[in-house]
Amino acid sequence: MRFVLRRLGFFVVTLWAAVTLNFLIPRLMPGNAALAMMSRYKGRIQPQAMHAIEIAFGIHTHQSLVAAYFTYLGNIVRGHFGISLTFFPDAVSHQVLQALPWTLGLVGLTTILAFLLGTFIGLVAAWRRGGLLDGALPPIFVITSAFPYFWLALLAIWFFSIKLGWVPESGGYDVQTTVGWSWTFVGDVLRHSLLPAFTILITSIGGWILTMRNNTISVLAEDYVRMARAKGLKPWRIMWTYAGRNAILPNLAGFAMSLGFVVSGAILVEFVFNYPGVGWMFLQSVENQDYALMQALFLLLTVAVLVAILVADGATAILDPRTRDRS
Amino acid sequence: MTAITAAEPTATPGPDPPLAEARRGYGADLWRAVGRNRKALAGVILLVFFLVLAIFPGQIAPHDPQAEDYLPGLGPSSHHWFGTTAYGQDVLSQLIWGTRQSVIIAFGVGGLATLLAVLIGVSAAYLGGLADGVLSLLTDVLLVIPIFPLIIVIAAYEKNSGLFTLVIVLGALGWSYGARQLRSQTLSLRTRDFLESARVRGERKLYVIVCEILPTMTSLIVATFLGGALYAVLAAAGLQFIGLGDPNSQSWGTMLYWAENNEALGANMVLWAIMPGICVAALGAAFALLNYAFDEISNPALRMRRLDRPIKPVRDEPAPVVPSADDRILEVRGLTVAYATDDAPVVAVDNVDFDIGRGEFLGIVGESGCGKSTLLYAITRLLGPPFAGQIMEGEILFHGRDLVSLDERQLRHIRWREFSVVMQSAMNALNPVLTIAAQMRDACKAHSNMSAKEIEERSREVLRLVSIDPVHLHSYPHQLSGGMRQRAMIAMALLFTPDLVIMDEPTSALDVVAQRSLMVQIKELQRRLGFAVVFVTHDMSLISHFSDRVLVMYAAQVAEFGDTRQIFEQPRHPYTRALLEAFPSIHGPNVRLTGIPGSPPDLARPPAGCRFSPRCPHAMPRCREAVPPLYDVEGDLVRCVLYDKGAVPEQTLVEAS
Repeated sequence: MRFVLRRLGFFVVTLWAAVTLNFLIPRLMPGNAALAMMSRYKGRIQPQAMHAIEIAFGIHTHQSLVAAYFTYLGNIVRGHFGISLTFFPDAVSHQVLQALPWTLGLVGLTTILAFLLGTFIGLVAAWRRGGLLDGALPPIFVITSAFPYFWLALLAIWFFSIKLGWVPESGGYDVQTTVGWSWTFVGDVLRHSLLPAFTILITSIGGWILTMRNNTISVLAEDYVRMARAKGLKPWRIMWTYAGRNAILPNLAGFAMSLGFVVSGAILVEFVFNYPGVGWMFLQSVENQDYALMQALFLLLTVAVLVAILVADGATAILDPRTRDRS
Repeated sequence: MTAITAAEPTATPGPDPPLAEARRGYGADLWRAVGRNRKALAGVILLVFFLVLAIFPGQIAPHDPQAEDYLPGLGPSSHHWFGTTAYGQDVLSQLIWGTRQSVIIAFGVGGLATLLAVLIGVSAAYLGGLADGVLSLLTDVLLVIPIFPLIIVIAAYEKNSGLFTLVIVLGALGWSYGARQLRSQTLSLRTRDFLESARVRGERKLYVIVCEILPTMTSLIVATFLGGALYAVLAAAGLQFIGLGDPNSQSWGTMLYWAENNEALGANMVLWAIMPGICVAALGAAFALLNYAFDEISNPALRMRRLDRPIKPVRDEPAPVVPSADDRILEVRGLTVAYATDDAPVVAVDNVDFDIGRGEFLGIVGESGCGKSTLLYAITRLLGPPFAGQIMEGEILFHGRDLVSLDERQLRHIRWREFSVVMQSAMNALNPVLTIAAQMRDACKAHSNMSAKEIEERSREVLRLVSIDPVHLHSYPHQLSGGMRQRAMIAMALLFTPDLVIMDEPTSALDVVAQRSLMVQIKELQRRLGFAVVFVTHDMSLISHFSDRVLVMYAAQVAEFGDTRQIFEQPRHPYTRALLEAFPSIHGPNVRLTGIPGSPPDLARPPAGCRFSPRCPHAMPRCREAVPPLYDVEGDLVRCVLYDKGAVPEQTLVEAS
């Protein structure tokens, strides 16, 4: 119970830190970007849009900094993120909810797939120590893990879309198909997601393979693996329930930790593919100086990482009885 | 003095003693190891290549990178290796000039992030208390907040930020992962002896941190730097690519930005868009390769070492059963085991012979590092990391079959049914994520068609055998006490009532009282069920009370082998005598305990001749000439020239003993 409470406390603190960063960064920038922005827009845009900027920066002209901060916090807690300038006069929250399914579908599923696949390959590579898989994979994936996501995305578009014409080069779906739960639409969405998913998979899988391989190698030196051999268990049984089950535990913690890295890559991939998800919208908001939207999306990305940590915590609790007793 | 019975249960034979030894003089070893590692070498070469480009772009680049002097969109030619941009600039020259910025960012951010990580991580761990709480929370929060989006947010307010801002921001946000690792590493070091002694000496905190702690963490600090550099190269390229850098700067990311804006890939200026990415990937790969190589170097388990000479070829058909003369169930002949190391192979078991009869209790005794455990894992064919030794020669006849010639599949059928193993620490030997019941079930299912109910019944039965209440069957190992875990492991070993149970110091992790009662119980079970025991220990008193015969090992060889009574009444080898003098007798008269001066030899460089001679009170010049053979003295085998009848009259031996 104490463990759960501590974890919850940590989540609250992290969210608070993200909100506070949103509030502070424009003020701490040289020349107080928030005020500069306000005076630049004053009188040039509609009052409603002006209000949106006020909320984004937490500026009410007559408020002290501290009071403004609390007004800002209050707005965020109530889910009041203001109005998007890009999609004026639509509420930010509404825009975000539209982009979210695209990213969950593409980045979420691909990340989980990469994790599972990478963990499995890493386990097998370590298990067949010195084999073909073990000899070839680490050097290859050390190098692919250094590839810039967006550059690989560019290459993929160039080769598979422009040269070969196999898959569409950008967007989440063909604008000519009607949106809805029809086979044509679903198929179209899948076709559009193929290339970005492939890019994310290739660049992110290497990390999981390498860490799982190294974890497994350490675990294979444990007495309980030797004991399993002494018991005469079948190799696959030892690999799964003795080596794999224990080696995946640090990988789960690592999953949560490196998710920020994956999110960063995914933003750029969505950008390159013009994929209508959160990352693309995030960069759009930056380009259009749509600060209310940008701040909300930044918060959303933080929440996404926190949720992933929660999931990893849950999985760890299921797989490791020791953490269950601690909590 | 070196007490033989001193608690040293975890000392393992074999190469690569952990951290403690690697502490001082680590630097030189590190560089030697880098030279030997191919991944590290590739990383260094790449890095040096880019460093040269970054330092001397003016001398190397063929053209002015910004001058729009040429036709736009030229293909590759001898004049423009990688063609020209849509603005008529030379792509190669831009690449070369762009190197400088990436290198500055990599080293600047890597350095800054490492500095912050060391400062925050080490001081959090070393100061402890509130400071640790606050710093750790800060680290964890920063670790979770997605850094790259945060940098984009910052860049959104301050567009076209210069190189300096970029380095500061990336560095100030990128230290958390390293700090977290450095903190936990420092915490684990805090109670180590060398730090305690520094504290006792009254050294100042700063001195302790800089001179004692940091050198032990060289590899972690290097890893933090390399990881930071890799992340910086990728993040900076990403930022510039989406247009959040200075569009007039000369960098790979900016090149990609302009290439993308001019649709270079579609417009046949492919190299303009591909080459900067390859450069980013190559510089990143240099750091990633070095990072991976350092991981391999600092964690020896990740490296593979092989001996040239393989073990005996595996036979396809079952090994022929050699009829045994009497009731011997295990006969080991000429067994030699070696470890591969970076230098010459280390022979940890040298030509060992012994045998064991049905229902017999054989003790194997010796100091830590004499090859006992290696011998034990060799005869069970369980050698593998961290006992990565290989059987070089010899036979292990178990029920007449030579185990050395069996492959894993053939061994699997014999294991646990015919011989089982009990390890030193049940905490490590039981799978922490499975219940005792599940681990027993695994063994039962592997060797029988027992139903779930029968398995449960049998598991309860063996737990009762070792006096554990069967309610604990469905507990996880960590929920049991140390003594119970050890008993549970012994219970598991008895599931099939094998003919032979091999025990590696099964009681040394327990306190003296628990040890006694467990030993009595093992002996009781052995009498009742009739299995034979090979029992490895460094505790002479256990041997004297429980074993029928004893094998004394010294520096990978048999020093003395014979009947326990006879050896305890009349120890012949000077080493056996020294062992006996080093432990107190419960019943005998009070005598001053003496240790054995010196310590066992390094098996990589065993002394010439008799291996005990450097520590032996009876050593004579002859001892150093050749390894003495085993002399048969009244059925007791002794490896000592004192018992060479041709050379020394019998009387002196009796006097000497």
